[in-house]
Amino acid sequence: MLYFSLASKAYARNLHYRGAHMLHNVASALFGYLYACIWIGIGHDRPLGEYGVHGMIGYIAFTQASLWVTGFITNGLGIPEAVRTGQISLDLMRPVHLFVLCMCREWGQIAYQFIYKSLPIYLLYMVLFRLSLPTHWTTLLYTFVALAASAYMSICMNYIIGATSLWTTESNWLFWVNHALMNLLAGFFIPVEWLPSWLQTVSWMSPYPYLLYVPTRIYLGYEQAGSLLGSLAWCIFFTLLCLLVTIVVRRKVEVQGG
Amino acid sequence: MTIKYWLDLYAVLIRSSIRSRMQYKFNFILGTVLAATIQIAEFLMISIVLNKFGAVKGWSLYEVGYLFAVMTLAKTLYRTFASDVHHLERYLTTGELDQLLTRPVPILLALMSQNIRLMPGELLQGGAILYWSMHGMISSGQITWLALPYTLFVIVTGGVILFSIGLATATVGFWITRINELQTLTEDAAQTAVRYPLVLYPAWLRSLLLIVIPVGFVGYVPSLFILRGEYGSWLVYGIALLAVICLVISLRFWKFGLTRYQSTGS
Repeated sequence: MLYFSLASKAYARNLHYRGAHMLHNVASALFGYLYACIWIGIGHDRPLGEYGVHGMIGYIAFTQASLWVTGFITNGLGIPEAVRTGQISLDLMRPVHLFVLCMCREWGQIAYQFIYKSLPIYLLYMVLFRLSLPTHWTTLLYTFVALAASAYMSICMNYIIGATSLWTTESNWLFWVNHALMNLLAGFFIPVEWLPSWLQTVSWMSPYPYLLYVPTRIYLGYEQAGSLLGSLAWCIFFTLLCLLVTIVVRRKVEVQGG
Repeated sequence: MTIKYWLDLYAVLIRSSIRSRMQYKFNFILGTVLAATIQIAEFLMISIVLNKFGAVKGWSLYEVGYLFAVMTLAKTLYRTFASDVHHLERYLTTGELDQLLTRPVPILLALMSQNIRLMPGELLQGGAILYWSMHGMISSGQITWLALPYTLFVIVTGGVILFSIGLATATVGFWITRINELQTLTEDAAQTAVRYPLVLYPAWLRSLLLIVIPVGFVGYVPSLFILRGEYGSWLVYGIALLAVICLVISLRFWKFGLTRYQSTGS
């Protein structure tokens, strides 16, 4: 119940800013539109593999909308800010595990962003680019599971990024590096199979393809539910890593003088 | 008080801002390395695509690299020398602007010299891509060495245009306070868009990026002359004039906006 309250509070807090967020949605949708224009330009006089031009537009539309679930989550889950203000010491004293506390708050944030950002942006693209929904309901179900797993992985990655703020004041750079790597390795703009082979190897050795590429491929009907096993394995790995990081954080914590 | 007085004062403020930042050397190095990584990852994204598929609507990889580099360098110029203009929202929401108002320096000068961030990562990465793309085009005979002074000139005019857009966007904050979302539109999205040739976009978007937010004049329009010999050298001087006009308008808007400033109630 406590966990649900944490999540719903984060959700409710965001509801106050719906107006400003809608303006942000326009900017976000414009980004996806720019990338779609680039693919339209490239596909003007050549085929675009198994996707085709319309398929690539659908691909970009889905990854851009999904970014609000897997990419644009709170920088370091708010831990850098807590370290700066000293709030981290209170958070560590609470009778809730730090990872669980941060994670629950973030789930509320992600739920909000899914409803008020991902869905409106994707609906706009559906109208604009005449995209259609998958025909099988199971495809939608598997996509939802894949996105939930990628949101969880993203939460874990940001927890670890947040934890580094105990060592450096520049941890926000790691957030942006993570974001840049996601753009490159997660198949945000370029499907992973079109990367040079060495970069494909790097990509598949990392969790990044499971953040965007795999959910998108499932949604577009190119992958089956089997690829969710990879997501599951990474989720387990990250859970263990976050628990380990928390142990280190507890020993390291020092509060910066105000 | 002369312009020289203000410039000297600006230099002193910048030096002290840099000195305070340099107290954290490890953070500076880490920030630099990570910023360069981000830039390279961003450029890899488009270069991989162009490498695989070849030119896009008649623009080669070198030409797109050139647009990318000019934009990176112009933005670096703007953000280095006017760092906290982009972060005005923080000053407005926390009331920190009141502190700046009490100082015996113009508010804009104070804002420009706060939290200066040297950006060697962006400078190196932008410089490297510019060198690589221009070297490629000079080798193939597409351009000559003459393109270099023109390029350096348009990087400066580009920096001025970006500053003007940034300042005008920040000024809107005096009315609406929260400007991050607006900045995403007028700065982030617009700058991302013009790292690619404008021919990719439909007419309405092209007009938007040239007339409403004149960010297209940073790299794309001058490159039509510098890389392709279209129009004539007057284009570059015309852009310089445009940059000055943008600067004057945005400075006037800023002054007007400042008279509408209301401090936070908290």
